[in-house]
Amino acid sequence: MNYAFWIISAITLLGAFLAVTLRNLVHCVLSLILFFLGVAAHYFLLRADFLGAVQILIYIGAVAVLILFAIMLTRNVTGTEGPREVFGMKWWSGGVIAAAVAAFVLQAIKADSVTAATSTTQANSSVAEIGKALVADWVVPFEAMAVLLTAALIGAVVIALEEVMRRR
Amino acid sequence: MNITLGHYLALSTILFAVGLAGALTRRNAIIVLMAIEIMFNAAILNLVAFWHFKVFATLTAQMFAIFAVTIAAAESAVGLALVIAIYRHYRSVDVDEMKALKG
Repeated sequence: MNYAFWIISAITLLGAFLAVTLRNLVHCVLSLILFFLGVAAHYFLLRADFLGAVQILIYIGAVAVLILFAIMLTRNVTGTEGPREVFGMKWWSGGVIAAAVAAFVLQAIKADSVTAATSTTQANSSVAEIGKALVADWVVPFEAMAVLLTAALIGAVVIALEEVMRRR
Repeated sequence: MNITLGHYLALSTILFAVGLAGALTRRNAIIVLMAIEIMFNAAILNLVAFWHFKVFATLTAQMFAIFAVTIAAAESAVGLALVIAIYRHYRSVDVDEMKALKG
């Protein structure tokens, strides 16, 4: 468990770091896929199998492809940016804010005692168990999520089509 | 040295900070959305770690994680549609140039 944690963490961090620093947008998305894979591996390591599968299906299968399509629809297909247009004008202030947030939260984690909990033999959560919980205790949030997804999809189509409809 | 809950919390804090830095510094709106996805994933990783180390004994944390993933997917669909609509209007996805509402 120990080596796996460090290796997967290094891969995940590398993917996240490259995703926000690389110049080529398509390379950014590929690094983001690496990051999503690392998080999915962490879920498997944490014995949350269903979430790991969901992570791969939704994030790599849907979100990453969606982002690739957005890049192809908005810029040239290769997606390369010039050296001057990668970071904003006050990029250093964003870095300082992020570093301050990280330092503050890490200090809080270090100070708290709950973080010393070590790995117990957590039982694998079966998919059947999650499915039963979804239609028993969690049925109202589940249905609300269905409405939200429908609204989001219709909203996305309406927003993306707006200009075309106005032109007619 | 065993892996404790603190390791996972520290990892997701650093991932969150990387995402935050990306969202605050990058100029391309699509990359900003990607950075927001990184922050979402860091938060969800936290929930799953809490579940694994039995801070929450029931399935509640996993249910929260599943709903959070669903909301993140809906958010990215709407966000990318907005980016495409903005690109049609301004011919640019640079967040520094979107200042029509600036006072």
